[in-house]
Amino acid sequence: MNIAQQIVNGLVLGSGYACIALGWTILLGVARLVNFAHGQLYMLGAFATWYAMTRLDLPYPLAILAAIVALAVLGALMQSAMMGLVMTQNLTSLMIVTLGLGYVLQGASALIFGGNPQTLPGTLSRAKVDLGSLWFTWQDVLVLAATLALYGAVWLFTQKTRFGSVIRAVAEDPKLAELFGINAKIVYLLVFVFECAAVALGAALVAPRSPILTSMGFNEVIMTFVVVVLGGIGSIGGALVAGLGLGLFIAFFGAFVAHAYTTAAAFAVLLALLVVRPAGLAAK
Amino acid sequence: MTVIESHSTNQLPVVRSAAIAVLIAVGFFLPRLLGGTSVAYSTLTTIAIFAVMCYGVDVVLSYLGEVSLGHTLFWAVGGYTAANLSVKYGLNGWSTALATVGLCIVAAGFLGAVTLRTREFVFSLVTYAAAVVAYEIAFNWDAIGGSDGIVGISALKLPFGFATYVGGTQEELWPIAFVLLLLTLAFIARFRRSRLGTTALMVQMNPPLAASLGIDPRKVRLAVFLISAPITGLAGWLYAYQRAYVGPDMFESYFLVMMLTAVVLIGRRVLVGPLIGTAILIAQQNLLSLGGDWNKIILGSVLALVLIFWPTGLVGFFRRFGKTRA
Amino acid sequence: MKKTIKVAIALLLGLTSPAMAQDIKVGTIFPLSGGAGPDGQSVTNAVKLAIEQINEKGGLLGRKITLISKDDESTPAVGVSRANQMIAEKVDVVIEGWNSPVTLAMQPILARAGVLDITAVSKSDLILAGETNPLAIRINSSNGFDAGVIAKYVAETLKAKKVAFLTQNDVYGNGFQTAVEAEFKKLNFSGQIVTTEKFAFKDTDFRVQLTSLKSANPDAIIVTNSSNSSGLPAMVEQYRQADLKSTFVGAVGIMLPTVFKVAGDANNGIISADIYFWNLPPFDAIPESKSFVAAFKKAYGVEPDKSAALGAAALQVWARAVEATKSLDRKTVAEAIRGTTIKGTVFGDAQFLPNGQLQPRYVVFKVVDGKTAKLEALE
Repeated sequence: MNIAQQIVNGLVLGSGYACIALGWTILLGVARLVNFAHGQLYMLGAFATWYAMTRLDLPYPLAILAAIVALAVLGALMQSAMMGLVMTQNLTSLMIVTLGLGYVLQGASALIFGGNPQTLPGTLSRAKVDLGSLWFTWQDVLVLAATLALYGAVWLFTQKTRFGSVIRAVAEDPKLAELFGINAKIVYLLVFVFECAAVALGAALVAPRSPILTSMGFNEVIMTFVVVVLGGIGSIGGALVAGLGLGLFIAFFGAFVAHAYTTAAAFAVLLALLVVRPAGLAAK
Repeated sequence: MTVIESHSTNQLPVVRSAAIAVLIAVGFFLPRLLGGTSVAYSTLTTIAIFAVMCYGVDVVLSYLGEVSLGHTLFWAVGGYTAANLSVKYGLNGWSTALATVGLCIVAAGFLGAVTLRTREFVFSLVTYAAAVVAYEIAFNWDAIGGSDGIVGISALKLPFGFATYVGGTQEELWPIAFVLLLLTLAFIARFRRSRLGTTALMVQMNPPLAASLGIDPRKVRLAVFLISAPITGLAGWLYAYQRAYVGPDMFESYFLVMMLTAVVLIGRRVLVGPLIGTAILIAQQNLLSLGGDWNKIILGSVLALVLIFWPTGLVGFFRRFGKTRA
Repeated sequence: MKKTIKVAIALLLGLTSPAMAQDIKVGTIFPLSGGAGPDGQSVTNAVKLAIEQINEKGGLLGRKITLISKDDESTPAVGVSRANQMIAEKVDVVIEGWNSPVTLAMQPILARAGVLDITAVSKSDLILAGETNPLAIRINSSNGFDAGVIAKYVAETLKAKKVAFLTQNDVYGNGFQTAVEAEFKKLNFSGQIVTTEKFAFKDTDFRVQLTSLKSANPDAIIVTNSSNSSGLPAMVEQYRQADLKSTFVGAVGIMLPTVFKVAGDANNGIISADIYFWNLPPFDAIPESKSFVAAFKKAYGVEPDKSAALGAAALQVWARAVEATKSLDRKTVAEAIRGTTIKGTVFGDAQFLPNGQLQPRYVVFKVVDGKTAKLEALE
């Protein structure tokens, strides 16, 4: 039983989970918006990267940027449409609107990009690293590095800058923040755009591991949900720890028990924790 | 607005009762009026079953203000109970229905207790997590069907002492589906005016008032959740007999999205809202299908646009043209 | 509105005249959207081509065949709706099935309505179990016979001493593994099964399982993964990246064109088996296969793969039975197929067991060049 390799596997999986979960947890924490279109946005981020690399002949780093910009614009459009509901905090309707938008994105992507699987050439996912008996790819290193950098940057931003405290104020109490002259609409818009940009980055880095399909989306991000709730909704540090922790859990549960039941196990743990602590693990 | 709409407690005028009786008669003979083909029967039976499925979610949304993403669990409990008990032990329809109601209440009791302290999106996410766990169990547990499910569910048998009603064909299942739908509608109409119903509404709309009246919101939440479960469960029970096949696909998002769409499309606390919503969705799927991808675009757009412009559902659109309510 | 859509579909399918009362109607229900969309589309195209070939030669029983194609979206509830629509359109036969749960849901509906139902691709054993459809017919091979081929190769040709399983965790994967283990017993296999690793159909990351398998270091790993568009190609690549020295033995029929297209030369060295190849013996000598391959290549730009062959064979088997019995009645035609041999299909002579299962001819192969899908038939 190769423990060291499983630790590496766990970190690789976990950094992927954490990277994809960051935008979602911030959106949920600030705007209390459950974005059911997250999975389809992930898929679109992957396809935008693919399109940029194969049809526009951009190199990988520029393609990542293109995907981020494309999804940021899409996010701005989506949030503008939903702004009325967000301002009145009609959360149940918001959830279902994002579900509807997700469906539209899925159907439209299938029509535009087709149903065939595509691969992303020119990434580092085939560049192997052999460290003694351990193996991983340079892409894995990139994902871990980018995730840590992203989390670091966002944490610094929210804790140390003025705009960060603005966002935290709106998250705490939007009406009070408005009384202080903060434009909650702009904050919500920027947070949603950030979510879309972050998931685009996540997709561009993680999706090259396997072929991409326009039908994918939900399954890829289902763990996001577990990460966000386990880490504490809105908690940045929590999401990082929960993401990496979940990755390690999956690796070891899979190695020692049975990999086929890891989803059930993860969700069962989640349910158990929510029974004990309905607010999630991290105290706000 | 803190005034609870009071419903008339006068007896229904005779005209209104007569109109309802006519509607019921027309509804019952609708398949025959539409041609009497087996397809007419099966489509209307499907609409009736799916509508009852949606009413469970509707109760939770209308009276608790929460979106339950876990009702596919009760839908599946109904289906699997009917399938397993009738195929393995040959039990008749009454027994399987009773077992369905019992198991749904137990499951709802557990899930309701777990979600007592959760609200809004956390509630939704927890109910969703429960459905995922249940799906994984159903998928992996070969004894209750496994990943391929249970085939060969025999016809529904409802013994009445002197005779047994057998529901094997779509024509035979229609009366049962129709009766189930009527019972559900009657129950919900009743529930609106019941103590629990009005209390739940008060808790949802004016928590301080409810607290000052000494109402325990957690008991109310649990009770409403417990009542909503068997409704969806019995729909799943009948679906097992109609389709003669039950599998983990009962947990698929196809049913979940139908439940959510039918319930929000028309509006909350509109008695026939879910029924109309279901009928529209099934009609689109069967008659106006433009292929899987375009269907997704249409469904998603309708859902998003209706809620963006009329967050209370399509009734919001129609109320503009009707009398204004106080 | 319905008529307009029907005519539109007929025009889109390239048939020039709208459906007339005299035409024989063939219905197909396969996934045309979603993850399995391209596969279902390929099978539907094959059925369409087989129909055109018959129409060119004068039709069936002197009448033209028209195709009505519907999308089941890989969802059983949608499949049931489509089956009901087929019944309403009064089709004479339905050729269906890529995903087993969809087939299992549609079977009772079609059987109750007396419409002949031929399953082209779905693999579940329950399809032929007889309870819901006593006149079932299935073209694709069943796990039971598949297992025999693979077990024999691993035990007698590879002579593996240590074997491991990498199995998709559902009835299909687990069923195949159980059947292989049973075959090993029958063959008095002296080797040892060292470990079993499982995964979910939707998984795309297999590092954890591959790491465990590498530690066990078997001579051969028997892999059952039907996710040809995403999971299996990813698995093949990760298998090579993990530098596993064990021979990759794939279950029958999993090496579909998308696997080669996506994983390319990571596929080199994989051993598997299948029931149809357009360019390998004995199929490259069958006249119907040769003409079908040429027509398919002309119409769609690629050679037909095994799935397309299954679709074409389903149609051809039915058409021959109809010709032989001069009838479109479900029972008559079904009984003319089950338990008999039908000549003149892309498989050559199609031999059916009494339970409706087509008896395939297997070819075990090794992948020589994954990029071009060049295979070497083994014996």
